[in-house]
Amino acid sequence: MTRCAHCAHSNLKVIVAGVGGQGVVFATRLLAQTAVALGCPVIVSETHGMSQRGGSVISHLNIGSSEAPLIQRGTADVLLALEPNEAMRSLPFLRRGGVAFVNAENGWRSAVTSHLERLDIQVLSLPAESIAIELGSAGVTNMVLIGFAIAHPLVLLPPSSIRKVLEDITRRDVALNLQALEAGLHLGKTIGSGAVSHPVQWR
Amino acid sequence: VSRELLLGNEAIALGLVEHGCRVVTAYPGTPSSEILAGVLRFMRRLDRRLYAEWSINEKVAFEIALAASWSGLRAAVAMKQVGLNVASDPLFSAAYTGVKGGFIVIPADDPGPHSSQTEQDSRLMALVAQVPVFDPASPAEARAMVEQAFALSERFEIPVMLRPTTRLCHARQDLPIDHPLPPDPPIPVARFHKDPSRWAATPRFRYRQHVALNAKLGQIEAEFAASALNYVTDAHASDRVGIIASGVAYYTARQALLELGAQVPILKIGTPFPLPQAAVSDFMAQFQTVLVLEEPAACIELQLANRDRVHGRLDGTVPAAGELSPEVVFGVLAGVLIAAGYPVNPPPADAALQAAIEELDLPVRKPNLCAGCAHRSAFFAIKREFGPRAIFPGDIGCYTLGINLRAVDTCLDMGASISLANGFFQTHQLTGGAQPIVAAIGDSTFLHSGIAPLINAVHTGARFVLVILDNRTTAMTGFQPTPAGPVLADGSRAAERVSITNLVRACNVNFVRVADPYDYAGFRSVLSEAYHHTQAADGGLAVVIAERSCVLDDPASLREHPMPVLITPECDGCRFCLESFGCPALVLRPDGSRVDIDNGLCVACGQCVDACHKGYIVPDTVGTGSAAR
Repeated sequence: MTRCAHCAHSNLKVIVAGVGGQGVVFATRLLAQTAVALGCPVIVSETHGMSQRGGSVISHLNIGSSEAPLIQRGTADVLLALEPNEAMRSLPFLRRGGVAFVNAENGWRSAVTSHLERLDIQVLSLPAESIAIELGSAGVTNMVLIGFAIAHPLVLLPPSSIRKVLEDITRRDVALNLQALEAGLHLGKTIGSGAVSHPVQWR
Repeated sequence: VSRELLLGNEAIALGLVEHGCRVVTAYPGTPSSEILAGVLRFMRRLDRRLYAEWSINEKVAFEIALAASWSGLRAAVAMKQVGLNVASDPLFSAAYTGVKGGFIVIPADDPGPHSSQTEQDSRLMALVAQVPVFDPASPAEARAMVEQAFALSERFEIPVMLRPTTRLCHARQDLPIDHPLPPDPPIPVARFHKDPSRWAATPRFRYRQHVALNAKLGQIEAEFAASALNYVTDAHASDRVGIIASGVAYYTARQALLELGAQVPILKIGTPFPLPQAAVSDFMAQFQTVLVLEEPAACIELQLANRDRVHGRLDGTVPAAGELSPEVVFGVLAGVLIAAGYPVNPPPADAALQAAIEELDLPVRKPNLCAGCAHRSAFFAIKREFGPRAIFPGDIGCYTLGINLRAVDTCLDMGASISLANGFFQTHQLTGGAQPIVAAIGDSTFLHSGIAPLINAVHTGARFVLVILDNRTTAMTGFQPTPAGPVLADGSRAAERVSITNLVRACNVNFVRVADPYDYAGFRSVLSEAYHHTQAADGGLAVVIAERSCVLDDPASLREHPMPVLITPECDGCRFCLESFGCPALVLRPDGSRVDIDNGLCVACGQCVDACHKGYIVPDTVGTGSAAR
């Protein structure tokens, strides 16, 4: 497979998971739109309808050559989870060597650590919601998580491109969204380039 | 040219607008609802002259669009798959009369099902109605097929179906959009040419139309056999196994083959009906085994004359229910390939990890009515007033979630709450053992198909309480306007607001009360009065209109009078409020000791104050509890 000249990925597969109302669809759109802006073909699968009323919401994002809307379990590169239980539920989507970024208040203590180690799956958690609330609104938790994730080498979507797309597609509170993105990015960079596999401690 | 991310439904909408569609009608229903919204968006953006409306139901929508086609304009009608059941009467007849301007019927199927009562296959409806079908596999292909569907429809003067599925409707893909946008082609002048033997055909002429329809389908099949929409990929990869695939399953199969590490020829079918038999038999002749992958039922497979070497849904190789997920397709392909002697990769998902996670027994998140939803208040009052013995026929909408409060006993189809209530009454009347019957239906659903059953119930003397839950919008599908509202689909002012109260009165219902479900005591007394009317010697059917805007659609209505609440220290975690009221903002502590308010979810509606019969949920007058958002 050829590598995309812009985002340095042959085919990046991302699962975004959360609960209705947490901004899963918007977070996915931001990543997808950024990939399109970089010239990569994209297909996304979204959850609409009844499940949006508080049910589990999951998006599949395929950057690269595939036109299949759904990602098969065991083949995703990245999992972005806005809620710990949804993170756990969605872990089987990750391939060997995949990475999960999880919003969890007190660190994410996995009950399946031995399996994750065996599969070389890395879980990085952070209190994205507290950070978002401190910045002004729990509504930008998704941006903190995205900022955190794009600092990781596996997710290399250039922050400058994300920022620009975010400015384009955000209807209100653009500044707050950008601030949340920066906060996540800063934290991600501080943690280092994926060397830490234990829950991120913050503050 | 720029590339934009479009939802599959928006891609269809763009295809309609850019190919000169002039009239588009729809009734909202997941997964189809974004088609009409997209049409309006691209109409403005491409500066096209076009008429679009949210119709009262799918049958009406179909007939309005058909009249446009009969007048020579391109037209389309969109709906969810069960909506096609409602529109099936004109569909079957229009196949005979035929059309003039290109006419596309777009029913969105829902394999799974994710948001529907059934997994029915609209392609099979088309097969029975004798209407050709285009089956797109991606948003890009759906957009491209619109042009071909219009052309075919016009050449053969026949309605054409474009059938997407949920995973296409709700996929987003980057699609090219021209800059500058192409100018609007000249719009033909609408002209209905009278031809009674055609548009008003009597049975004698209908026979001739049927003969002509059969001939059209024969010609269309020959055309499909040569169409580029049906093509073979990896033609020479194998002579043992061949795959026939259509719709999203085509791309799912290709991806699964990559994971399996196998190369297999695929005949991709874009036109499943009439099936291009010649092209299909040519393909099948090359293989010892043929696997058919299609959703949600077996439209292609059923049309195969010889199924000796064919595996699919009919022989059980492919599950007969449920979605063709990547995992299902991988498993089916692995089985067929291994049987044919191919080496294949194992499934990529780790079984031990999945088993370990399943053992955790994670709580399942059920969809729930929103915090502050007036439906919850109405159902809570109904349940308290009538108790568990009453029969609660329900209907289709957000308020189907009243099942969580055990205040909805049935969910059959649009409008069925009223006819079922009628039927339950007559049945129990016949045998004795009368129970209170309290039916609930939403405003949009009532207008869609509640009026005829209401007239029927009044006329036959049925006695039950009907609660019309009027939240002034079509909430579940994304807040589309209803005929009772002040605006039309494009945001312009409606010619008339249809009054639900007047409609009910006009059906000769003698007891009609409008009440606010937020006023618990007042609402309950109206319910009680309504029930007494159904029991009185000179009484009859009673209708209560529960009027209160949807909190998502109209959050301002809440902000005017916020009522923050707190839960007193006496709360003993008895769970009554959780089970009988079930607001998502009421949360049981992990140790079960008491209930707390989740201030992130609470909208300060104050409705839960009535949900604690011990009085531990109280208005927060000093502002330490939930805050108004």
